[in-house]
Amino acid sequence: MASPKRAEGPNYPYGPEVRIKIGGEAGMGIKAAGQSLARAFANAGLHTFDVTEYPSLIRGGHNVYYLRVSEQPIFSQVKPVDILVALNQETVDKHLAEVVDGGAVLYDPGKVDWDSTPGHERVVGLDVPWEDIAKEVSGKKIMANTVALGAALGAACFPVEYLTDSLDTQFRRKSPEIAEQNMACARRGYEATSARCKDFPFTINPVKDAPRRMICDGNEAVGLGALAGGITFYAAYPMTPASPLLHFFAARDEKAGMVVKHTEDELAAMNMVVGAAFGGARAMCASAGGGFALMVEAFGLAGVSESAVVVGVFSRTAPGTGLPTWTEQADLRFVMHAAPSEFPRVIISPGDREDAYRLGWQAFNLADQLQTPVVILSEQYLQESRASVEPFDSSEVTIDRGKLIAEGDVNDHAEALHDGVYHRYEPSEDGVSWRALPGVRNANMIVNSYEHDHYGNAEETADNRSTQHDKRMRKLELARELVPAPQRYGPEQADLSIVCFGATKGPVREAMKWLEGEGVSVNLLQLVTCWPFPADEVNAFLDAARTSLVIEGNYAGQLEGLIRQQCLRDVDHSMRRYDGRPFFPEDIFDTVRELVPVREAVAR
Amino acid sequence: MTDVHTYDIDNKIMWCPGCGNFGMLQAMKRALAELGLEQHQFSIVWGIGQHGNGADFIKVQGFHALHGRALPTATGLALTNPDLRIIVQSGDGDGYGLGMGHFVHGVRRNIDIAYIAHNNQIYGLTTGQASPTSNQGMRTPSTPHGVLEWGVDGVAIAIAQGATFVARGFAGDIEQMTDLFKQAIQWKGFALVDVFQPCVVFNKENTFSWYKARAYKVEDEPDYNPTDRMWALAKAEETLHIRNDDPPEQSRIPVGVLYREEGRPTYQDGLPQLAEGPLWKRSAQPRDVTPFVEAFL
Repeated sequence: MASPKRAEGPNYPYGPEVRIKIGGEAGMGIKAAGQSLARAFANAGLHTFDVTEYPSLIRGGHNVYYLRVSEQPIFSQVKPVDILVALNQETVDKHLAEVVDGGAVLYDPGKVDWDSTPGHERVVGLDVPWEDIAKEVSGKKIMANTVALGAALGAACFPVEYLTDSLDTQFRRKSPEIAEQNMACARRGYEATSARCKDFPFTINPVKDAPRRMICDGNEAVGLGALAGGITFYAAYPMTPASPLLHFFAARDEKAGMVVKHTEDELAAMNMVVGAAFGGARAMCASAGGGFALMVEAFGLAGVSESAVVVGVFSRTAPGTGLPTWTEQADLRFVMHAAPSEFPRVIISPGDREDAYRLGWQAFNLADQLQTPVVILSEQYLQESRASVEPFDSSEVTIDRGKLIAEGDVNDHAEALHDGVYHRYEPSEDGVSWRALPGVRNANMIVNSYEHDHYGNAEETADNRSTQHDKRMRKLELARELVPAPQRYGPEQADLSIVCFGATKGPVREAMKWLEGEGVSVNLLQLVTCWPFPADEVNAFLDAARTSLVIEGNYAGQLEGLIRQQCLRDVDHSMRRYDGRPFFPEDIFDTVRELVPVREAVAR
Repeated sequence: MTDVHTYDIDNKIMWCPGCGNFGMLQAMKRALAELGLEQHQFSIVWGIGQHGNGADFIKVQGFHALHGRALPTATGLALTNPDLRIIVQSGDGDGYGLGMGHFVHGVRRNIDIAYIAHNNQIYGLTTGQASPTSNQGMRTPSTPHGVLEWGVDGVAIAIAQGATFVARGFAGDIEQMTDLFKQAIQWKGFALVDVFQPCVVFNKENTFSWYKARAYKVEDEPDYNPTDRMWALAKAEETLHIRNDDPPEQSRIPVGVLYREEGRPTYQDGLPQLAEGPLWKRSAQPRDVTPFVEAFL
């Protein structure tokens, strides 16, 4: 059996880190268990990245929880596993090959036939009868997971107190007895392995005086950003991977003073959001690409009616029902072109949780300033993977509601009147008209799905159509001044220049770190705004590139095509993936290593 | 002071002479005026259809939404501004075809909206195809062999699904429509007024005289009891399976308030977030996320 290597390996020391995988059947509580482990490490000042891989089933499928812990900042998952916690035989069969030489596999001898497992000799097998221990300590088999977590910490030589403290916090309020039992289970698991792991190479220690970090996924980051930005209405129909955002808002609606509606379908969600925006609410809906497909007509309505709405499109592998719980970056062209005809739209795409938080509130400002739909384009990989981040706060958050008249009498606003009468769609230089809300005296208007005149009444003349269409499309020019710029990482001059959007940024940044250790310099331009397309910035970046590579999660090269179209140029190389999985830094590392020597050979 | 001219707008009305929409527009203006509602106190949301063109014939603060989607658009407004009375104007194709899903859910959530259905049993805007409420057997360009399905009965569906106010109007009786519209607008909860109206150009069967011969005032019935749901359902059943060639005495159409249930909480009643008025007031300043971040630390 081939042995996986720690790709950034012993040659590229970035400080100690450990990678833990927990596998078992859906319904075994793997995710909850793993997340208490992540919390324990984060409480000890370590950086964490964790992700749950699960089939679209509630029980019975194979679930995997993966956790990477490091003293240094980390940006993504990696392939090798140091400690595998196997809750069943299937986990050993499926994942033993991922464990590095000398790594540890923890198993319950009652569940796993270790000695008959081929290839087990190159790793350390640690048998811990966690079901028996759990029953002995608590009388409950269900706490076997907690024993296993303690055992995992024992293997990594990491003080179990961080886990017991985290369990205490988690369970104390529900039941002090259950908290005590969980803590005892964790300690017993720890004792079962710690003595046997003195020489285990993949250990990690708490970091002294580290700042307290939060752990969140992309959905939570978008949600917190939207809360900071004053969201007051969220409507959605459940669809992976956007459902957790619905739960996030629903759990906080009264505390935040917002209304959250689980609607009868996605069409209702989008139309309600348009209606809520008409009433002046900061309104948002979100779904996967498939759910957005159902919203598309009302997305166009938002465009023509000049409604300030925010729409989250969180891609999963599609089309149709696709792979519901896996990722993809193949909806860029879809959201760019969704709905008939033309109207201005903004598409912004977070690359990590910090981006997601920031774009979560900026999206609402853009929508209000432009009075047009703003799409937050993200993907399952970001929305459902978690990382430790510095706690978000509202200190940098601003609110700009644009040309809004929310109360009083519109006749007191000369700037909003035309010959003494309010015109909702009065053409203006930047394309944005004064928006008076219903409830404002004398703000008579029809906000209209039909092409309309300045007042809002349906109007079919050619002149009017051109005037109103021009007015709307002019907003794209204003948008260029307002939207977030691309983000650059790495040196000014590099051996290779990468362009990407979305969460592909994480694995790229991870690989860049390793490549730097190899003496290969790489820089990255991450598009934050995908539309209006930042052609000047992309051109400048590519002008300075020795060799360029576009990395994106789709078959057709949607971003690469967009660069061709908008920048009138080619890029040198492409790296694409569309098998439902995110990019791994190892694969990016290998691709770059293949490309850079080629360039050097040619140059010489 | 409001009067019927408060809502006049200087646009040419582009409905065919004899269209039932004229009477409905007049009744709506009268209802609004008699309730003393000024433009900033209510909003009307229209769907798409001949009824929807009415958005241009009345001076209000309104929204001309998508075909079949007036109700969710209005619901979004209703859920974010409790200070406005919300009225939906929809059509039979619009509201009972594309919009049927939203209709049923609007009823069951008892959203505080007055829902006026302009029901001419035909698609007028798209030149005369069968609508969901066209009676069985009706021949139209899209059903040259006659409609095979029973017509949708929005009134019966609303009562069955638990609506709290259900009425049927007839566009030939402006007095009664005005009264029904006023009741619906004042009603706390989902209030349906389904109005049968002739389409003089495309529906040659359900004409003014066809309706006139069949409509009767339900409150004049000796057993009139609009608080009895089973009675109301039985009344609604009378129109459930009419064919246009049925003799008038076998296809009578009850008009008036069919069902009324006082006291049921509205959807908005369940939202304490709306107690302090329109939600836009909460977005003037950034929200402090510190209390929300706690859970992730």
